[in-house]
Amino acid sequence: MANNPTSPKSPFSAIKVVECGEGIPAAFGAKMLADLGAEVIKVEPPGGDLARRRGPYPGDQSDPEKSGIFIYLNTNKRGVVADLTRPEGRELLTKLLGDADVLIHNVPPPERAASGLDSAALCAAFPKLIVTSISIFGDTGPYANWHGYDLTVTNAGGWAYLSPGASPYPDQPPLKCFGSQGYFQGGVHAATVTLAAYMHRLKTGKGQAIDVSEQECIAAMLEMNLMHWTYAKRETSRLGSRLLGPWFIADCADGKIFALAVEEEQWKRLVELMGNPEWASDELFKDRIARGQNQDALKALMGEWLSQWKVQDLYREAQKRRIPFAPINTMRDLYESEHLAARDFFVPLDQPGVGTVHLPGMPSKYGRTPWSLRRPAPQLGEHSEEIFCGERGISRERLNELRKAGVA
Amino acid sequence: MADLPLSGIRVLDFTWAWAGPFCTMQLAHLGAEVIRVETTARPACVTRLIPPFADDVPGPNRAGYFNQYNQGKRAITLNLTKPEAIEIAHALVKHVDLVVDNYAAGVMDKLGLGYDKLRSIKPDIIMASLSGYGQTGPYKGFVGYGPPASAAAGMFFGTGYEDGDPGEIGVSYPDPNAGIFGAFAIMAALAHRALTGEGQYIDQSQLETALVLMPEGLLQYDLAKREPERHGNHDVVMAPHDCYKAAGDDEKWVSIAVGTEGEWRSLCKAIGQQELADDARFKTAALRKQNEAALDQIITAWTSTRDRWESTRILQAAGVAAFPSMGNKDLAEDPHLAERGYLVQLDHPEVGKRVHAGIPWTMSGTPCAVRKPAPLRGADTEEVLKSLLGFTLDRIEQLRKTEVLI
Repeated sequence: MANNPTSPKSPFSAIKVVECGEGIPAAFGAKMLADLGAEVIKVEPPGGDLARRRGPYPGDQSDPEKSGIFIYLNTNKRGVVADLTRPEGRELLTKLLGDADVLIHNVPPPERAASGLDSAALCAAFPKLIVTSISIFGDTGPYANWHGYDLTVTNAGGWAYLSPGASPYPDQPPLKCFGSQGYFQGGVHAATVTLAAYMHRLKTGKGQAIDVSEQECIAAMLEMNLMHWTYAKRETSRLGSRLLGPWFIADCADGKIFALAVEEEQWKRLVELMGNPEWASDELFKDRIARGQNQDALKALMGEWLSQWKVQDLYREAQKRRIPFAPINTMRDLYESEHLAARDFFVPLDQPGVGTVHLPGMPSKYGRTPWSLRRPAPQLGEHSEEIFCGERGISRERLNELRKAGVA
Repeated sequence: MADLPLSGIRVLDFTWAWAGPFCTMQLAHLGAEVIRVETTARPACVTRLIPPFADDVPGPNRAGYFNQYNQGKRAITLNLTKPEAIEIAHALVKHVDLVVDNYAAGVMDKLGLGYDKLRSIKPDIIMASLSGYGQTGPYKGFVGYGPPASAAAGMFFGTGYEDGDPGEIGVSYPDPNAGIFGAFAIMAALAHRALTGEGQYIDQSQLETALVLMPEGLLQYDLAKREPERHGNHDVVMAPHDCYKAAGDDEKWVSIAVGTEGEWRSLCKAIGQQELADDARFKTAALRKQNEAALDQIITAWTSTRDRWESTRILQAAGVAAFPSMGNKDLAEDPHLAERGYLVQLDHPEVGKRVHAGIPWTMSGTPCAVRKPAPLRGADTEEVLKSLLGFTLDRIEQLRKTEVLI
């Protein structure tokens, strides 16, 4: 597997992480630490994490032990079950936190006190612990207790309002990007700041509480749009024209390509590649701003030329000339990409009951820090006995009682 | 000064455009001293050159795009086409912990600033290269920007209105995404160095950082051999789940999502149509998904006669996820973001007091804050070269004349 041969022992293997809360944000943040070697214990509610109920599933047959998103998020972790809404469940959590370095969770603020996850109380009880909480709107402020999903996060953060951009469908609403981007941003920001807090702890021995707002993560990713208002009192939206051109999705003979030229030099090379058509010197297309404003005309004129190409051929020929075209890749295109294969991007993982899953792999390639997928995602409660009885001194009888009572 | 997580860490920042500066801004937020290298010799710093400019008056120090993503940094000018400039860069490397770039693969090597060279100057240096396609593989030299990276990563393929063509996604999302993943990798490398004393090189591909956010689509293909379908704002399981027309002008919308039976019943009650909860078309989550077109009509009839904030407050009071689709003015004037200290008013020497998006997290023990506005071009050249390299003002003046420091 994609382990780094030069440094097999990870310096991160000493970091102990406990993860609570369902779905993507905390699970992804903890995954980023786990993939570097940290030891992560995932705490699930008795009914199982909701990611188990989201799929995608092999052959579209729903099964909580076979959810693709759950497997992706939870490799490298051991899993236990504890109902944190009950006192006995919170006792189990306390047992886990005794020797943990990091707690990362995305339990919403209004549910925290009743789940034993109040940040201030945890910091007082465990002064060395880093408590990282991820939520839709953050832990404080007038919307702190409001409810949300990824759709409402990407709208609350101002991204959806700008999407798809230069929309040809003005009566259609703001459009959410594919996937769960608000959740993932909460996770990657949380993992980053957690490592910063870990650096601080290495120096001082002190833990602390971190509060990550998904809404704010998204609102920091709007290019220059916020400043259009604060610098020039101009509102922006999914309508209007492109800042520059060409900038559009086009049909080729066998698929679609994204046609873009940012710099004037790129446009000149593109005109050459097109065989120097006469229209290219028209005043309408004199610079990148004009080409953005007159994009409909440009698109019509480029259309016939584009339609004669195969996507991959045009991609290569354009890139040979440093023109930043890119194919509208399908999932299949990505799994079959020679470039991603050469970089060992997809990582095969043997998941019990499922077989080999080809997971998206390393987001960044480290020269020294090992990154690896070492173990499959846990079955529900797979490591309860190993961890609670074997490592935390709870008797088997007690664990059985808790199981019967539906706590563990 | 408070002891911040990265206090004492110095960064030499060769990044440009958006991805790299977004990365090094995170490090500045966390307390690092980030020294940004720019030159007027090539128009690389696109974010200084495109609107919006403060009060629509153009100028390299007046661009909102630059000023947003370079908060808290210092700036020097160094014309890397000159050999003396490369020598100065080498001398600076002795004094820094970290070098970051986001050029296409190979550019730093050609400049004489590749990892092997830097490591020979400072053995525990950490270097992070955030390129479009990575430093290896057949496409390593390809040019990448945020929008084509969205196309290449399958984000355009998966996004779009119901049964329509692949759509764009409104912002160059893979750029800041590469930036935050770069910041994570750098934090990992700094922690690694703190634990072992070793520096290292990080090769990050923008395409790959985008692909790790695509598991729902990729694994559907891997496990079920199906490509993702485009379904606007609709969800594969949840319904209702859309952005609905609100009262007011044409550009007022409210997003609503229902994930549980409890939320569904609360929604019906909150919109005064309790009978819907027992309507045969909507009795189960699967039926609501199946009949979501009818459901969307019912919700739209309710939202379109109300202000988007009124709908939001009614639904949130009932525990239902709802929020207006926020525009830039909405965000800049939002009381929640202001109360949390997220919106920061920075007093910039050329554009005055302007509101920016600040830090999307808080830390109780190491209170990070935006420490200063984005730097004027070259603002810290003299100070950095004097304090770190002992240059005299005469020498700096001479280097300006020979176009090394421009």
